[in-house]
Amino acid sequence: MKSVSLSRFGMRILASALTLAGLLSSATSMAASSPDIDSTEMASSSVPTRIVTLYQGATDSAIALGLTPVGVVDAWLEKPMYRYLRDALSGVEHVGLETQPNLEKIAWLDPDLVIASDFRHARIAPLLTTIAPAVSAPTVFDFKSTLTMVANATGRESQANALLQQWDDRVTDFRQQIAVRLGSEWPQKAAVVRFKSDHVRIYNNGFAGSILDELGFEQPDTLQSQGWGMKLSSTENIPILDADVMFVLLEPDDPAIADNYRHWSTHPLWQQLSAVQHGRVYEVDPVSWMMGGGILAANAMLDDLFVHYGLAQSETPHQRVCHPYTAGIAEPLSC
Amino acid sequence: MRIETALPSPGTVQDKRDRLCQNLLLLGFLLLASAAFSLCLGSFPTSFMQVMRALAAPDSSDIAFIIWELRLPRITLAMLVGAALAIAGAILQSIVRNPLASPDVIGITSGAAFAAVLFLALLGTTLSIRWLPVAAMLGALLAALAVACLSWKNGISPARLVLVGIGLAAAMGAGTTLMIVLSDDAAAMTAYVWLTGSLYAAQWKDVQGMLPWLLVTVPVCLMFARHADAMALGDSVAEGLGVAILRSRLTLLACSVALAGAAVAFAGGLSFVGLIAPHLAARLVGRNLARLVPGSALVGALIVLYADLLGRVAFLPKDLPAGIFVAGIGAPFFVYLLHRTRYQQR
Repeated sequence: MKSVSLSRFGMRILASALTLAGLLSSATSMAASSPDIDSTEMASSSVPTRIVTLYQGATDSAIALGLTPVGVVDAWLEKPMYRYLRDALSGVEHVGLETQPNLEKIAWLDPDLVIASDFRHARIAPLLTTIAPAVSAPTVFDFKSTLTMVANATGRESQANALLQQWDDRVTDFRQQIAVRLGSEWPQKAAVVRFKSDHVRIYNNGFAGSILDELGFEQPDTLQSQGWGMKLSSTENIPILDADVMFVLLEPDDPAIADNYRHWSTHPLWQQLSAVQHGRVYEVDPVSWMMGGGILAANAMLDDLFVHYGLAQSETPHQRVCHPYTAGIAEPLSC
Repeated sequence: MRIETALPSPGTVQDKRDRLCQNLLLLGFLLLASAAFSLCLGSFPTSFMQVMRALAAPDSSDIAFIIWELRLPRITLAMLVGAALAIAGAILQSIVRNPLASPDVIGITSGAAFAAVLFLALLGTTLSIRWLPVAAMLGALLAALAVACLSWKNGISPARLVLVGIGLAAAMGAGTTLMIVLSDDAAAMTAYVWLTGSLYAAQWKDVQGMLPWLLVTVPVCLMFARHADAMALGDSVAEGLGVAILRSRLTLLACSVALAGAAVAFAGGLSFVGLIAPHLAARLVGRNLARLVPGSALVGALIVLYADLLGRVAFLPKDLPAGIFVAGIGAPFFVYLLHRTRYQQR
């Protein structure tokens, strides 16, 4: 009926809006009142032995500390598990995807420690803490804080400190050697470029970015103040990739990515990139440069850099730290 | 009801109505049985007896935890969300007199999706992800308000509502894509999972958040069902029958928006349920809204329940978003029913 007066009508709308607002605020209060995972305090006093790791960096860190988790999440590449961790994790149960781990499976594994990340698992935090004591890292990229957190939760602080000390030594060694080797050409601007099947990404922070930063590399001019980086879908954008050195992350298992790489790298603009003209384009493994996310992956990435720049690895190799914990494995890990 | 009494022979109409009510009851039983079935399946298959024992006497065992804290809230939320989306779709299809209308089409879902992705991209690192449902709900309400205002011209005409809705949905779809492109990998991944729609890690507090929306809106929908049935005959006929068209239409629209918004807030962008469930239900319980609302609710609940069951147990140990399977389950039934009714009519 068009004769309904507008004011009556407005009252009704107002009333229903108020009801909705009431409902909405009930939802809001519910969202606010759920408990947080305690990231510092451990509930159990004894040292946990049945550990479930819910992100890649946590799995890597646990193995670096000589722990074998009872449950891990699927890897992003080289499924079900990264090759560099496969031997150490043979026979270990998988609990599904990092974004959506199978809670029921986790509960059945009866863990005494769950290692999660706020970023991925904040929503399931209340359930995780019901299943087992849980610790949670704010991000999934910071391998040092992940290592420290896992070590604190499992009483392996001394091992973690040794690993971090050895990392610092390697970083110092790299910085000294590369400064000598490159002279006035150091510091270099480094571009971390990842090829996907239909686009290309250039990163400025995250796992690889923070390590390159620690090693003294600089960011390409185009990337400054660009947040996490950029997604490039057209070859027109190739000049954005310009840097002194380029690290290209490819996935050997995916032919579509190789095709896209061929397409971009044969483009005339690509040939004009300074890194290309100076022959400083290095194809690197996305697992150690991005997906691994732990100290083992970080060391593998650093190994790559020593090799690419022809620097001598000092004879206090990090393998010495890794070996005891990977005892029984035929081939040394690339850690 | 009044519509049906206008049909020629009263006896067959009574028979037909009995049969339709029977179907409604059957659907109800089917849903209960399916819920019980779903409750017995999981990473580690538990026997029916074990489940019943854990249900009857919850103790501190693992099974009791899995049944009470993991499976039961999730199954309950799946049913509630499915029901809400289906009712929202049934009402929309009825008030805009267009069989293709659904919360996805007229922009409600896209509004929620855009708000959710915006939240993940801009506030994801500063604010807890627990606020995501609130953001999604606000997005749905704002989108619906925008659609209603933009299509307002001496009341709301169904055709304009749909067109404006589609336009706004497209615009917000573009915004969603833009936000995903601009955000980093981790946030984009979370956004994708959310957009697919998932009942993963549903907790009792989610059920508590979802249930009031249904409790408030469903009685209102049923109260206005007769008006909507009259409006289905055309605005002038309805007006002649004494229906306050604008009021009824807006009330029903508000109910639909609230239901769809709540469902999307708690389960993400589950699409297709709102479109398909009312059609399936109409073929089982008839087009009369008083039966179509509960019928759609039951069908929608069944679809989402089975979609989530597949996501939970079909690819163990992976736990996949239910949204992947909704269309996969709904579409074959839909095509089959369409085919069968065409055959019968011949």
